[in-house]
Amino acid sequence: MISFFRRNQVLLSAFLSVLFSLYIIAPAAKGRLRADPIGPLLMALMRPLQAGIRATILETKRVYEGYVALRSVSTENEKLKARIVELEAETSRLLEVESTDRRLRELMEFRSGLPPGSITASVIGNSASTWFHSFILDKGKADGVEKGMAVVSPLGVVGQVVSVTSKNAKVLLITDPHSGVDAMAQRSRARGIVAGSLENGPIMKYVKRSEDIQEGDRLITSGLDGIFPKGLLVGSASTVRKKSFGLFQYVEVALAVDPSRTEEVMVVNTGPAQAKD
Amino acid sequence: MKLSLLFLSVGFILVLLQTTLLHLLPLGPFVPDLALVLCVYLGLNHPTVGAVVGIFVLGYSVDVFSSPVLGLNAFAMSLVFLTAYLSSRCIWIHNPLLSAPVVFFASWVKGASLMMVWTLFLTMDGLGIGGLKYAFFDAILAAILAPGMFALLKRGQSYVEELRMPL
Repeated sequence: MISFFRRNQVLLSAFLSVLFSLYIIAPAAKGRLRADPIGPLLMALMRPLQAGIRATILETKRVYEGYVALRSVSTENEKLKARIVELEAETSRLLEVESTDRRLRELMEFRSGLPPGSITASVIGNSASTWFHSFILDKGKADGVEKGMAVVSPLGVVGQVVSVTSKNAKVLLITDPHSGVDAMAQRSRARGIVAGSLENGPIMKYVKRSEDIQEGDRLITSGLDGIFPKGLLVGSASTVRKKSFGLFQYVEVALAVDPSRTEEVMVVNTGPAQAKD
Repeated sequence: MKLSLLFLSVGFILVLLQTTLLHLLPLGPFVPDLALVLCVYLGLNHPTVGAVVGIFVLGYSVDVFSSPVLGLNAFAMSLVFLTAYLSSRCIWIHNPLLSAPVVFFASWVKGASLMMVWTLFLTMDGLGIGGLKYAFFDAILAAILAPGMFALLKRGQSYVEELRMPL
């Protein structure tokens, strides 16, 4: 018996590992999640590395852009070249500062229209898998971020916080197939749920056949899900199809925000119990 | 012990790369699944109980940074390891180039297992053709990177094993 276990220890442990994974996943079927003792530790471990890599990327980008801008001044003498290098680098830095400043100012203006307790955060890491659309924020429980809070940008809805550690938060993006935002057409008030899809990008589900929705209609949050404040831009209806059967229309959505290009976001506190400011 | 440390560090670095630098590649939503290549490598070349635990932790780490539900990637990676381990009884890869088709197949196993769990445990629309497209491009990317990574891992493993050998 013991020799059987010893001979097949890898096979048995791999099998147990598969079963244990299913045991972890199982509560999700009922909409619950198991407590995660390792996640916060991993995130804390990775946080400085992710932030460091992000800073390195930005610095490399800045230096490279400075270098590219420099190549056209080859006829200048060495002294002027050196001066231009300095100036170009300075300009590049200032442009980056100005761009960041503009983005932050827009965020601040946008923030004034949001419920109190909203938090500004930066993206420091992305999803490690093709199959999931998420990113990691540099703010966590210590900054007032809670699970279930909405994540938005001045351009529109970005996603929702699905897990949070003391210094980080994981955001499920609106482009992920597991996400869902209660939305409505601004013109006709036709309602549905905007969710990601692996087929043709985000779609608006459960729009009744009788509802009036047309291509180009602006889609905004309805506020009825209790997560996203009412009136935030989600995107626009890019394709609307009524099949000859079925209860609902097929609506493809062009999102207002490209989450993969988002650098700063606002984490919005809609629940009255969560307000801290 | 040193070998376990090597693979643990490699796994840690791969997850870090997947969450940061690899997103700079112009591949749209696709992120090269380097963790999967490591998983197949361990299943074929270093199948131990430690590797099983390592693969579970690797999958769990990917879940921590990506998945809304914990355990999805841990499940898929464990299943890929199991498949690779069972395959290692009948295939033996000497040439790193041969790792490409094996990783391509393993990526499909991972994609299929993710879709299976989604269907069984979670409600999700929009799988179908889109899911197949994701699985295909994920598999192609992993297969392209597999020979290089296999060669590097093999070299690292040989180096550590030489260090362990008594003089």
